[in-house]
Amino acid sequence: MSLDLFHAGRRRWMLRSASLAGASLLLPRPAAAAIGGLPSNVAHDASSPEWEALRARLFGTRPIAAGSNSRLQLVVPLRAAFGASVPVKVISRIAQTRALQVKRLTLLVDKNPSPVAATIAFGLDAGQADLETRIRVDEYSHVRAIAELSNGELHMDSRYAKVSGGCSAPSNRQPVEGIGRTVLRLVQDDAGPAASSPPGSLMAADVTVAHPNDTGFELNQRTLLFIPPYFVRSLKLSYSGRPVFDAELDFSISENPSFRFHFLPEQRGELRAEVLDSKDLRYVGTLAVG
Amino acid sequence: MLARRRLLIAAAGLGAAAPALAAEAPTASARAGDAALPALVPTPLGGGAYLLQGSGGEPDADNLGRIGNAGFIVGDSGVLVIDVGTSARHGEAILASIASVTNKPVRLALITHVRQEFVFGAAAFRRRGIPIRMHRRAAQLMAARCEGCLKTLRKLLGEPEMEGTAMFEPDAVFDDGFVVSGIDRRVRVLHFGHSSGPGDIAVFDEPSGVLFGGGLMDVDRIPDVQDGQLPAWREALRALGREPVRRVVGGHGPAATAVAIAATDRYLDRLETRVRALLAADTPLSDVADRSDLPEYASFDAYDTIHRRNASVLFVRLEYDVLFGQPASGVPR
Repeated sequence: MSLDLFHAGRRRWMLRSASLAGASLLLPRPAAAAIGGLPSNVAHDASSPEWEALRARLFGTRPIAAGSNSRLQLVVPLRAAFGASVPVKVISRIAQTRALQVKRLTLLVDKNPSPVAATIAFGLDAGQADLETRIRVDEYSHVRAIAELSNGELHMDSRYAKVSGGCSAPSNRQPVEGIGRTVLRLVQDDAGPAASSPPGSLMAADVTVAHPNDTGFELNQRTLLFIPPYFVRSLKLSYSGRPVFDAELDFSISENPSFRFHFLPEQRGELRAEVLDSKDLRYVGTLAVG
Repeated sequence: MLARRRLLIAAAGLGAAAPALAAEAPTASARAGDAALPALVPTPLGGGAYLLQGSGGEPDADNLGRIGNAGFIVGDSGVLVIDVGTSARHGEAILASIASVTNKPVRLALITHVRQEFVFGAAAFRRRGIPIRMHRRAAQLMAARCEGCLKTLRKLLGEPEMEGTAMFEPDAVFDDGFVVSGIDRRVRVLHFGHSSGPGDIAVFDEPSGVLFGGGLMDVDRIPDVQDGQLPAWREALRALGREPVRRVVGGHGPAATAVAIAATDRYLDRLETRVRALLAADTPLSDVADRSDLPEYASFDAYDTIHRRNASVLFVRLEYDVLFGQPASGVPR
């Protein structure tokens, strides 16, 4: 993405959110602002007018555990990130069991024109509802992850991400070749090499789909026409037919959408990724495990 | 900041350049240094070539965004300017600085690559009818993305500093390298295809042996790979290394010897080697910036910012090549 690419959308979006301006009066002012009003030193757990509106829309008045009460941890590089591909890592401190599990994870970027980047439903076979993906962050913004547990509790963690300021819109990318190619692979995790994991233990893998995930806000640098939106809408990941996670996605996910996740293979089987994009084209990737 | 302090000290002895700018001094902003900063002191590189050194660092209200270098070459019948500064006011300061050295007319300004600190001073040149030339691909890139940069700059530096600064189109574009005409001096514009950026050029002043490297090289600063194609970039650096270069001016940093050309290539090599190692270790992107440390560059300007981002940018590109079986290219995607 380019930082410019969201601008058209943002303008539209800001018009819509103008009616929400009242909410901002209730919020603490940022502690410090750079000249001209670029906010800096904003607390990671601070709110934003955008978040207040989203929260009401997505979660109503339900309480959301945050800070030290949250069972969710969000890791985002805090400075000089590459705005087109900001890694976002969600660590849940909950093993997926029948008694208690993460049912749904929502990833938000407050200031993006389409702030809901992903909604991900986890299955028991995820073992633990951890995930890393890459998102587009248009400007200084909070990134939030909210988990809904099977007992109805909501847990949130948030980070204020400063994508590098200034002239950082990249030049147009090479066109993605073979759109839809979907690659799964086992990866080394903190626990050690995947290949040496004993059966029944948590394994790490990632899935990547070759896809431009165009936002619709990016200018073609030769024609100066907007590149139409074209993105992966959903990705369903299963192991031997049992769901690991189902993700509903948006163009806030970076080009070549990529997810690193855990799963719990009880025995040898097949990881399978089913992908659907905004032209209703379907793609499949598989990987034999064990 | 050090560079700026040096400039201020030097500027104190150079009152002549200041009055022309005093008329434009903003009243709204109380930023310290606003009144004094616009005087730029040229560093003579010998043989009629000069460097106007930027502050380095990231653009902010203290350095007025004037982080990049500009330069000029005085020919028998006129002056060629290489890069035009961050704002109309910066462009004015560049022109005033040139006037402190020579009364020959400025015939032409070249923009070497599309980064905010090298392009937006154009307004000062344009209001005097000085033509601005850049590569066609650079002009396209500027048209597509610089409105956003300009908006951010206005927020960052404030309206008074950015007054009169606007988007523009170059007066002429070119597709290939050429020999500059109009200043009675043999100056070559060198283009190597999409190297450090799609329309990036270097300018070589044959009489003085001074190479203005533009986006192709930085001195004591981490070069930014975001727009670059690494293989073509490194090839371009090797080609530049074969020129009879005596002095080098990079996009940022002090003037240097020709060693600066190879130094940039060396950084790109070290960066790629480190990123490939991170890829081979299945490093998640969330850990890449933290694990990309290259201690030998820790003292460089922008190590904590551009280097970390470079690692992420290159990681994503090379990862694509590995996953999808493309030839490893380091090409922007």
